[in-house]
Amino acid sequence: MVAGRFVGQSVLRREDPRLVSGHGRYVDDVRVPGMVHAAFVRSHVARARIAALDVAAAERLPGVRAVYTARDLEPLIVGPLGATMYLSAPIPSPVALASGDVRYPGQPVALVLADSRYLAEDACELVRLDYDVATPVMDMETAAESEILVHPERGSNVVSQSRRWDDDLELAIRGAPYVVTRTFRQPRQSHTPMEPHGVVASWDRFDGELRIWCTSQRVHEVRATMGRVTGIPEQRIHVVQRDVGGAFGQKGAMRPEEIAVVLAACKAGVAVKWVEDRHENLVAGGHARSDRIAVTMGLDHEGGIIGAELDHLEDAGAYPSLGSVGGLVAMMFPGAYRMGGVNWSTRAVFTNSCGRAPYRGPWNIESLAREQIMDAAAREMGLDPVELRRRNVIARTDMPFTNASGMTYADIDPAAVLAETLRRFDYPEFLEEQSEQRGGGRRIGVGVSLFVEPTALGTGTMLGTEAAHVKVSLAGKVTVALGTSSHGQSIATTMAQIAADELGVDIEDVSVVDGETDITPIGGGTGGSRSGVIGGGATHRAAGHVRDKVLRVAAELMEAAPEDLETDRGRIQVRGTPTRSVSLAQVAHAAYVDTKLLPAGVEPGLEALVRYSTPAITFANACHICVVEILPSGQVEILRYVVVEDCGAMINPMVVHGQISGGVVQGIGGALYERFCYDEDGNPLTTTFMDYLIPTSTEVPFIEISHLNSPARGPGGYKGVGEGGAIGAVPAVRNAISDALGADVTDGVRPCDLFESTPLAGGSSR
Amino acid sequence: MKPAPFRLHRPDRVAEAIELLSVYGDEAKVLAGGQSLMPLLALRLARFEELVDLNRIGELSGISFDGEELVIGAMTRQADVEVAPEVRKSAPLLARALRYVGHFQIRNRGTVGGSLAHADPAAELPAVAMVLGAVVDVVGPRGARQVPAEELFAERWTTVLDVDELLVSVRIPVMPAEAGFAVEEVARRHGDFAMAGVACALSSGHGRVDRARIALFGVGRTPLLCPLVAKEMEGSLLDELHPAALDELAALATADLDPPDDVHATGSYRRAVAAHLVGRALINSLEELRRA
Repeated sequence: MVAGRFVGQSVLRREDPRLVSGHGRYVDDVRVPGMVHAAFVRSHVARARIAALDVAAAERLPGVRAVYTARDLEPLIVGPLGATMYLSAPIPSPVALASGDVRYPGQPVALVLADSRYLAEDACELVRLDYDVATPVMDMETAAESEILVHPERGSNVVSQSRRWDDDLELAIRGAPYVVTRTFRQPRQSHTPMEPHGVVASWDRFDGELRIWCTSQRVHEVRATMGRVTGIPEQRIHVVQRDVGGAFGQKGAMRPEEIAVVLAACKAGVAVKWVEDRHENLVAGGHARSDRIAVTMGLDHEGGIIGAELDHLEDAGAYPSLGSVGGLVAMMFPGAYRMGGVNWSTRAVFTNSCGRAPYRGPWNIESLAREQIMDAAAREMGLDPVELRRRNVIARTDMPFTNASGMTYADIDPAAVLAETLRRFDYPEFLEEQSEQRGGGRRIGVGVSLFVEPTALGTGTMLGTEAAHVKVSLAGKVTVALGTSSHGQSIATTMAQIAADELGVDIEDVSVVDGETDITPIGGGTGGSRSGVIGGGATHRAAGHVRDKVLRVAAELMEAAPEDLETDRGRIQVRGTPTRSVSLAQVAHAAYVDTKLLPAGVEPGLEALVRYSTPAITFANACHICVVEILPSGQVEILRYVVVEDCGAMINPMVVHGQISGGVVQGIGGALYERFCYDEDGNPLTTTFMDYLIPTSTEVPFIEISHLNSPARGPGGYKGVGEGGAIGAVPAVRNAISDALGADVTDGVRPCDLFESTPLAGGSSR
Repeated sequence: MKPAPFRLHRPDRVAEAIELLSVYGDEAKVLAGGQSLMPLLALRLARFEELVDLNRIGELSGISFDGEELVIGAMTRQADVEVAPEVRKSAPLLARALRYVGHFQIRNRGTVGGSLAHADPAAELPAVAMVLGAVVDVVGPRGARQVPAEELFAERWTTVLDVDELLVSVRIPVMPAEAGFAVEEVARRHGDFAMAGVACALSSGHGRVDRARIALFGVGRTPLLCPLVAKEMEGSLLDELHPAALDELAALATADLDPPDDVHATGSYRRAVAAHLVGRALINSLEELRRA
């Protein structure tokens, strides 16, 4: 890869001046004349029949415009509410407002429209909601066998299950010289984007146009969903979003609340705003993780992996917004290692809890399980965990490589990434230091995690393609309109870098437009680490098309051959003779105005819309090393954190660092702080940031990040990098704690779990 | 997350505030820095018809020192107290403890009087006030009175003040030259309420401990003074307070604790960590005392 003038450089983010100065434009900043405010009456219980729902008193409160229940909104609904790509998944369609019964705590039951949010919340308190409370299903372990059904009409609490089992492999694993079995869990997490969900909707009944301002990962999906739900022709639905304050998967599909608000705007004929508050987001905005995996691994005398068995159980909640991740867990479990085979069974179950939404590496438990059991096996064998990895790791020379579950990797070099991480970290020196400090009574441990990350997933769905529309204006300025949209990925910067280099213009001469359905090509948005790869590929190709045309026109203007021309800073010149040049504006003038100057066969205009499709998954690969100290109080201090990432060619290293750092922080949260809890009756216990703890700047270590570059085959050689940080961090932190304790940490931990005198900390939990 | 309707009263003088409190009784709540009250109101976990906002009452802010006593107005921001030279000099424990109170953004608004009056059992300032022998000045329609900090806290989030009384200032006596202090706590994250914490103030004369005050926070329904430990320590020769003796004192301090479990920690952990922290606090304050 040749570094460009902009691509490969840490170009400062053009989003930052407005974001860091508090001038971002979020949903809550949208004001529409005549707009009213919505608030929801929500279920306080996990499972109940609605015995009475009386909104009369709320309707009478001055300032209240309307109070809607399911009965009011259902007549407006003509199609399913779920996300387009999961319409055929075995999950129930969400309901906008509960009808007849409630199935998770926080489920919206009624919607108040009022002159202010304050009044709307006052009115919510006047809605009489009586329940016949019933015992909920809260435990995923027993959900499948429970006689209580989350969705009685489905006849079972099982969402889906899959199994691939080879009896000979089972015998081989069970008969291996070393057989290691562990069960790992990860706590339920919330995505906690800084900006929660929200929507402003305005229905103009006179011109039949529906306008929606949203905060989402994919504006075109918002339009598709609302077209399907309301029957309003899609071309009459206009969706706009500006800045999005994070999503992490939680904003991939519209929430039932958002759909209810749009329906309410249609019914009431006024513009309506609803912005979810933090309490609502934590309780009902979408949850993640909350799964369990039992692993048995068989190894030979040299540490070669004979095979592994997985039993994965996933808590889907009541209304998951995606199908099960079990298949991907199984396919990615072998990670960066050779294994003789993998047997698996996976199952996802419904519970009366907040539904599962994809979260930054939704399948991450495969890495957690594999990397933790590698350490457990190494301890059992008396082998250094790094040495065990070295003996099994695959390398570039193995490519293409089909892993033991059947997933075929290309263009990665995990052996080199592992080696580079150990070199940067200086593993031998650390081991010496560690043994010294342990002698002094300190509990210090190191954890390694090595993984392969499938990026730009989604072939065969809306996520399989992406388009860019590159336009050169009469003045020679460039606009790139993208189908994908940013929820914090710096797309306005990185895509401008690509287009500027392709067209040979200054980056200041390129603007990127996203997040508006009317003026951008259809696109899948950001998710699954796809925008760099597929959006970048589309931008690359579209700008390349325009460049070709620019050269042809310029060649005609200068009476030169196109292949003798080069572009630089907005001028097209004869290579080696910069005095012979034309500006991009002159080319544009010929293309749009003085079209008789165009060469024969060249159409007027200077723009291209190109749709790009990746042929397959693009694989990235990384290694994390974490060092922790467990203090006498049981608190964990992260002393060092090293990441080596191979995400192919980097468009903007600073942005890559940001993606990795953010992911690592969320992984640290999952390992040490975050845990959404319910009590046995289904009451949520961690409903504010006082109890649902996310890592803050005081808990986060300096993260040392460096890179290898195994380019992908697509345009530019880019790979996705959005999710890996969050995938790699949980096992790295847990392995480090396990090393410090000499015992396996098999779940998220609190200080009280690691206090000196507790059983786990005192000895082996095996 | 919007509070239920309330009327906001913004008196300019203490007397006006007292009058409002007398008129509205338990329908009124005093608003100081708002760092605890506002979230409770926004979540509608608490509701009051009338809020009496003290932020315009200038006479409630300020720090003065007359050589014997440090007097801090109730509305003095925690951030101002933290950096005030007279506080660092005559009540260094207070300045040290404030670093554990939330984050600096919270301390910019949070007030000393607000924290004491809110009486959160896991907060640092109530325990610090107790070990420093602080006294709070209280004004009400029946006149002024003084309440020692160790008698101030009645229950979780409840003081002995009547609904029409206002905590106007806190008086902290200057400690003798031979003194040592410590505040230790364990929280899930920096700035969180403590899962267990301890404040300690020791002074000595002629090689003996003459005054020992240890208070635990985060482990009971109020901050808890440890009189048994004080009794054991007072009169002891400094040289006798070797590590094994301190361990015994730590055990004594925490013997009767029975904190409940919650999502952050088990009760038994809180108790065990409290003992660990008492040990550490005694070591650290003795060290400071010996240096003094």
